[in-house]
Amino acid sequence: MKASPSALLLLAAWIVALIALAVIAERRLAVDSDLRLFLPAPSTDEQRLLLDAIGEGPAARLLIVELSRADAPTLADASRALADALRNDERFRFVANGDETLEGLPDALLAYRYLLHPDPTTRTFDREWLRMALEARARDLASPGGFALEPLIPRDPTFVLAALLDRWQPAHEPPRELGVWFDAARERALLLAETRAPAFDPDRQRDALDALQRAFAATGVANAVTLSTSGTGGFSVLMEARTRATAENLTRLAAIGMLAVLLVAYRRPSVLIVSALPLATAAVAGLAAVSIVFGAVHGITLAFGFTLLGVAQDYPLHLLSHGRPSAEPRMVARAIWPTLATGVASTCIAYLTFWLSGAAGLAQLACFTVVGLAAAALTTRYVLPGLLAPGARDYGDSRALRRIARAIAELPRPRFAPLVLALACVGATIAAPRPFWDNDLSTLTPVPEELVAHDRELRETLSLADVRHQLAVVAPTADAALERVEALDAELARLVATGAIASYDHAARYLPSAAVQRARQAELPSTDVLSAELAAALADSPFRRDAFAPFVADVERARTLPPLTPAVARAVPAVGARLDTLLLERDGAFTAVVALGGVSDVAPLRSLAGRTTGVTVLDVRAAAESLVAEQRSRMLLCLAFGALLLVAVVGFALRDSRRVYRVLAPLALTTLVVVAALQLAGVSLNLFHLISLILAAGLGLDYALFFEHSAEDPAEQARTLHAVLVCAASTLLVFVLLATADLPVLRAIGTPVALGVVVNFALALLITRGTTVTRRAAP
Amino acid sequence: MRHANATTARTARCHASFALGRVIAVCVAALAVAQNVAALDSATLIARLARTPPASIPFVDVRFSELLNEPVVVRGRLFYEGAGALERRVEQPYLETTTIRGDSVRVQRAGEVDRAFTLRRAAELRGFLTALTGLLTGDGRFLEQHFDIAASGDESRWRLTLDPSDGRVRERLRAITVAGAGNEPHCFVIDDTRGGASVLLLGSKAAQALPQPLTRDSLQESCAAE
Repeated sequence: MKASPSALLLLAAWIVALIALAVIAERRLAVDSDLRLFLPAPSTDEQRLLLDAIGEGPAARLLIVELSRADAPTLADASRALADALRNDERFRFVANGDETLEGLPDALLAYRYLLHPDPTTRTFDREWLRMALEARARDLASPGGFALEPLIPRDPTFVLAALLDRWQPAHEPPRELGVWFDAARERALLLAETRAPAFDPDRQRDALDALQRAFAATGVANAVTLSTSGTGGFSVLMEARTRATAENLTRLAAIGMLAVLLVAYRRPSVLIVSALPLATAAVAGLAAVSIVFGAVHGITLAFGFTLLGVAQDYPLHLLSHGRPSAEPRMVARAIWPTLATGVASTCIAYLTFWLSGAAGLAQLACFTVVGLAAAALTTRYVLPGLLAPGARDYGDSRALRRIARAIAELPRPRFAPLVLALACVGATIAAPRPFWDNDLSTLTPVPEELVAHDRELRETLSLADVRHQLAVVAPTADAALERVEALDAELARLVATGAIASYDHAARYLPSAAVQRARQAELPSTDVLSAELAAALADSPFRRDAFAPFVADVERARTLPPLTPAVARAVPAVGARLDTLLLERDGAFTAVVALGGVSDVAPLRSLAGRTTGVTVLDVRAAAESLVAEQRSRMLLCLAFGALLLVAVVGFALRDSRRVYRVLAPLALTTLVVVAALQLAGVSLNLFHLISLILAAGLGLDYALFFEHSAEDPAEQARTLHAVLVCAASTLLVFVLLATADLPVLRAIGTPVALGVVVNFALALLITRGTTVTRRAAP
Repeated sequence: MRHANATTARTARCHASFALGRVIAVCVAALAVAQNVAALDSATLIARLARTPPASIPFVDVRFSELLNEPVVVRGRLFYEGAGALERRVEQPYLETTTIRGDSVRVQRAGEVDRAFTLRRAAELRGFLTALTGLLTGDGRFLEQHFDIAASGDESRWRLTLDPSDGRVRERLRAITVAGAGNEPHCFVIDDTRGGASVLLLGSKAAQALPQPLTRDSLQESCAAE
């Protein structure tokens, strides 16, 4: 590096500019882990519902909290204290532990109790029924709970409110011990807490989990009781932390290894700064561009983007390896620019096709990588020469490198070998027994099996809805949607009886349609009739004659109330949370979701959906996979266009079909070899493999372009060999480390790139260099 | 009952163990003779009331309410099984069992579904149980944390008035008055803030005929009588 004041000033100015840009990008850019930002925009109602269900669905947002290792009374007390604390916490939408409370029920809605309960006995007010109720209430008054019940009795002597709260409990409750949920063995108290944060938002999920821990610590029994949680959200926190920790460790190791490679190759510590500058510029420029154009970016897009930027690490290495005492860095930069620019331009143009894919995640990816790579190339061309002193030595004079170059030139190169290799790879890929693609993104960050099994057991204990299957009922109005799910009740009950499903839940269980509410109003007696029956019932009770005036008034009010609407019902805490997830509005249409528990047979559900208008069976997993497949199809289509563009750009730059073949054949063959190798090793490809293959191809393109360019001059050949060796060695080191990680997502990135670097390097030497040498030998 | 361990330890220390319903008359007589009628110290009195679990005692509970024309009267037995564990069995005029464990209360009544609720939502019951626990464990300091305590009378006939000190409890529970003689508490009067009350007669008092007319005040008077 040059020690001149102007060079230092330039470096300082550049670093300040990068920091400023980074600050701007950081302020504007929201990094989201919402999977929907990455997947293609949904085009049908069903797909929209599915995208909701992936991360936002109530089942996915549910945390199961277990309290254990203490006696039942202590656990029950802890369960209540924790539930009370969480009910007051904004981060939780809904908390249930089996403990019913009338608190939070708006007074104005209490009269609706007679319209909401399906059991006709809740609307029965004959004298015998009332007499029994009053007798029980007198006993309640004399019981230890009497003081607490006393305020309710004048208004609700038949305890319909309590029956309604019971009804609002989950369809199949776990056993209750001391009034709160326990597991069957009565050893663990169980709570359900629905977070507001979607499951795939690890930051907000972690926030909710922290709040849970704080609330638990505040109960004062944290020393005596053991708390543990389970659920999709908890898993996403766990896996995010694990992936991050592994990736950070590996990155640290890789950075050290890379520094070592660069120090060995150039023997000057200052090159470390210079070689880091283009990549840093690429990252900052890419982020700034995405923040300006899109404002928000998905975490996966960023992960893919940073992976693809890896190719920019090679740009300064070409400049350094081609430097020599006799040439000003500016001259060197100018000399390698056509080759470098061809590589960058063709890669960028190929990536630009992603922008046209129509998927937000891919457009962001294109913006990030294209801007990043262009910035890195321009930095290498125009900024680095100002910072560099002329090279201390000429790698073109290295006798060792020249010997290696000669040895490589003398390797046998059967003419049909590339064709045979290509056919062999295609054959192997076709013959490999594994499915070619793996559409399940969750296999990339697998949750430990014992946690999944534990979660499954808990969900069975709590009879929670199946995360995978649901029915969706679409209707033009909310009330029509409610009517349609009510109409399904008989069929669903039959499916429960036959064992096809274990349980079901839908919005009309909490809020009946207006028609049903009106029918129930008609069952209620007039004030005169009720008063007469009540007076008869009171005749032989200890209660005062006028004690139940509020009850008579409530029944009369219930007779004339307008039917309860979803908008008003949402004010009831227990009901609002269920309606939010079971009755959805989008673009003026309403969808009622029928949550299904313990689905053992999907066929009768499909047949039910087939027979009923507006009803569809949602298979969340299948649809999520179809979305991933759709995203991949778009990527492949883009890549096909990109490949054509790449051929066109390289053809335009080189203007010779044989040269185009020499540059493009190695990377095409490498892709085939890597795919075949993965398939033979039993690995199905996913999106991360695909992105890694694209990176490997980008690296291979640069290797081949430089080899191709250096064909004529032995000194230049030696310099290029040095450059590509350093590039390949440093890249290989990083990605071999990733390939050894125990997390599938990191392996999916590491393995194809590591393999790709080796194969690209070898094939570029054999095909690109080989044919040029042959041509030189001929007259 | 939240300080279960501490109170158990104190219970062990206060070893004035008397089986309930036994020797009490003898004790009362002996004490009345042996000791002069001195100013009553509530702490000493409370310490003397401690019982070693398990203990059981018959009771009569008379419930007064603004909703009622006439009070509801139930009879049965109380079972004290240690701090935080109490069972109340109604035997007359119907069968009902209430089990209290920690903050959890379960009511089982023949022919009806069980009902469970928490003391966190039943301030009056919680206040009564706090008072009862404090007395049964003889833990004056524990009682003072929850009530302002006033003692009156003498060894042979005494009265403790417990006014809840917690604001939220005071909204629902006006006061608990415990009347007794010697080492035996005779009755608990629980007054709520809505004009209702529950009078709990224990032990020998539960066996006596109820005063007529049956009012809160007439009961309290009969508690004070020999």
